[in-house]
Amino acid sequence: MLEIKHTLCPLCSVGCGLNVIINDGEIVGTFPYKRHPVNAGKNCLNGRKSIECYQNKFEKAIVSKTEVDIEKAIDEVSMVLNSADNSEVSIICSGNNDLEEIEAINEFGKSKNYNIAFYADDLKDFSDVASYDEVASAGKVFVIGNLLYENPLIGRRIVHAKQNGAKIYACGKTEESVTFNIADETSNSTVGEFLENNHGNIDEESVIVFNYVDSQDDLEKIETLNCKCLPVFSKSNSKGAFAIVKSKSSDELFELLDNTKVLLVFNDDIVDELDFDFGKISKIISFAPCSNKTTEISDIVVPIKTWLEKDGSFVNDMGETQMFTAAVESDALSEIEIIEKLRG
Amino acid sequence: MSYVLAKSQNDEIHSAGECGGAVTSILKYLLDEGIVEGVLALSPQNDVYDATPTFITNSDDLLKTAGSYHCAPTMVGDIVQKYLFDKKIAITVKPCDMRAVEELITRHKINKDNIYMIGLNCGGTVSPISGRKMIDLFYEANPDDVVSEEIDKGKFIIELADGSEEAVKIHDLEEEGYGRRSNCQRCDVKIPRKANIACGNWGAEDGWTFIEINDEKGQEIMDGAKKAGILETKNPSQGAIDGREKVEGIMINMAKKVQNAMYPTVSEMDEWNRCINCYACRDVCPICWCFENCELNKSYFKDEATVPPTPIAFQGVRLSHMSFSCVDCGQCDDVCPMDIPVSLIFDKLQKKYYDRTGYIAGVSDDIKPPLYSPEKTEL
Repeated sequence: MLEIKHTLCPLCSVGCGLNVIINDGEIVGTFPYKRHPVNAGKNCLNGRKSIECYQNKFEKAIVSKTEVDIEKAIDEVSMVLNSADNSEVSIICSGNNDLEEIEAINEFGKSKNYNIAFYADDLKDFSDVASYDEVASAGKVFVIGNLLYENPLIGRRIVHAKQNGAKIYACGKTEESVTFNIADETSNSTVGEFLENNHGNIDEESVIVFNYVDSQDDLEKIETLNCKCLPVFSKSNSKGAFAIVKSKSSDELFELLDNTKVLLVFNDDIVDELDFDFGKISKIISFAPCSNKTTEISDIVVPIKTWLEKDGSFVNDMGETQMFTAAVESDALSEIEIIEKLRG
Repeated sequence: MSYVLAKSQNDEIHSAGECGGAVTSILKYLLDEGIVEGVLALSPQNDVYDATPTFITNSDDLLKTAGSYHCAPTMVGDIVQKYLFDKKIAITVKPCDMRAVEELITRHKINKDNIYMIGLNCGGTVSPISGRKMIDLFYEANPDDVVSEEIDKGKFIIELADGSEEAVKIHDLEEEGYGRRSNCQRCDVKIPRKANIACGNWGAEDGWTFIEINDEKGQEIMDGAKKAGILETKNPSQGAIDGREKVEGIMINMAKKVQNAMYPTVSEMDEWNRCINCYACRDVCPICWCFENCELNKSYFKDEATVPPTPIAFQGVRLSHMSFSCVDCGQCDDVCPMDIPVSLIFDKLQKKYYDRTGYIAGVSDDIKPPLYSPEKTEL
């Protein structure tokens, strides 16, 4: 039986809607979700490929590079945790987790006195962010990062701002930037210099949209400016995670990882994100739906449901909580179910 | 080709469907008689702006597809070729759906013997998000309160839950940048005559559907549905036939005026300057059927480091491969994250091709698609 069902794209924090095509119970493709207010049926290549995670999902757990049943893997995790000094156990949760999962992970970690953190691209949460419509209607848009390419459905609002007469000031690391192509002024300077050079030009009609900074000082500078801003994160629920778990910068995470003997990674690929010698950590346990660089070096991999197999909610960049429901049934365990088993 | 007026003999379908529920009744007949395994038609999910293609195998579920959904600019050609190729099915088709299906039939991607095309005359579709904004701006109503909508007599009409209606002239809406999608404004194929039958309200009396029977298969459908007792028919008056022809003529003339106004406005290079190489236009295109074998995936074309892509190596390849078969369905515009008016560029070239060859994509009777047609190799 052929069906088309609504879901959300899980691959960045913009919060785009996505339709998935289901044929005889299997997800076989995507279809434009034109009724979705964030993206009106437009999805970037990453979003359209997001179902590959479901199509390549783990069928079995892995312990010491050997496939095992999930129950055995969970027993192994329990044994590792029971024999560890709790102060040397760290949990990395993620903006890839939905709100309910982050709550459960946080409660679990707190109850065991584990260290808990999540990484949000070295960005921070801002309480009063610009909405997507405010980006499109801004008089000036200061863009830090190649937003048109990396977050196209925010990039689209910048294009709309330009079409509405706004001036676009773009800062990026390379000259080759499609965002530069629509900008009135471009800069390859540091973010700090870009903000400094435009300080007198940024006013109440301006919006700063960014997906990276060079330092925490840049975030403080943005906060002091007399305009709204919109940080754009790499994960679907980073904005939601801020309200539950304290985020850490990469420097803070390095310090935490230096003091970690057992690392639990919940649906994240921290190995890909941080330039850290993870070989220093005695045990890495990864809870993930499909393979990534972190699962490749993990001692134990526990498969979890993909977002397509569960209900949940993400908070997008502008602070809207969006619900999604399971597109297909699944025998896999959710992170919440796994945590319940770990609690015994 | 012949004409007939029809309405459902089934009370439930008659009250739920548009114009007497003839289309839903025909679909029910095809399913109940086992002539098809399933029906692919639009059905709303969360609201009237949210209709998606739905595959129905139990005729009890057909009521969910009854009604018109102008705010659901979908395309079924690619779904049929990818997922329903081996099934005997009935599909409801707008003219652009029909044109895509016809182009795919010539490419052997859809088996004509397997499909029953129930055509729906089309005055155009509206994007759901801009449609809601349009209702918010130009109507007294809350978009959430709209239970159905219709395009009729040059107006976009909404019906609210309390039964009241509001109507605004489409011309006025389009002057303000709303109304029908731009490709629909340009579209000059309003009646899907390659479908087995073409249904609509133009020329019909209230409570009846005006049906143009286009071929033998269409006649069999109508005869069978009538014999099964689900459809009542009568002959339309000459006045009704003339009235329908007049409506079609007016809409085609309007479309040609829009074409002439729009084609010179697009500056391809400026538009492509913000292309992010995401392939959304190619992937959604019902005519682009190569999928993984697409030339653009080959190493000699794939240059992900170059964004925007060199136009000749991306848009140039697509233009040369399929612009002559562009059916102007506008799906590429709808999915482009950068709002590049892709269909305008492709449709503009298709019309140039038409001027040289007379070929109308998905409408002309050529056995082979143009690229492979011996008569056109010199082009």
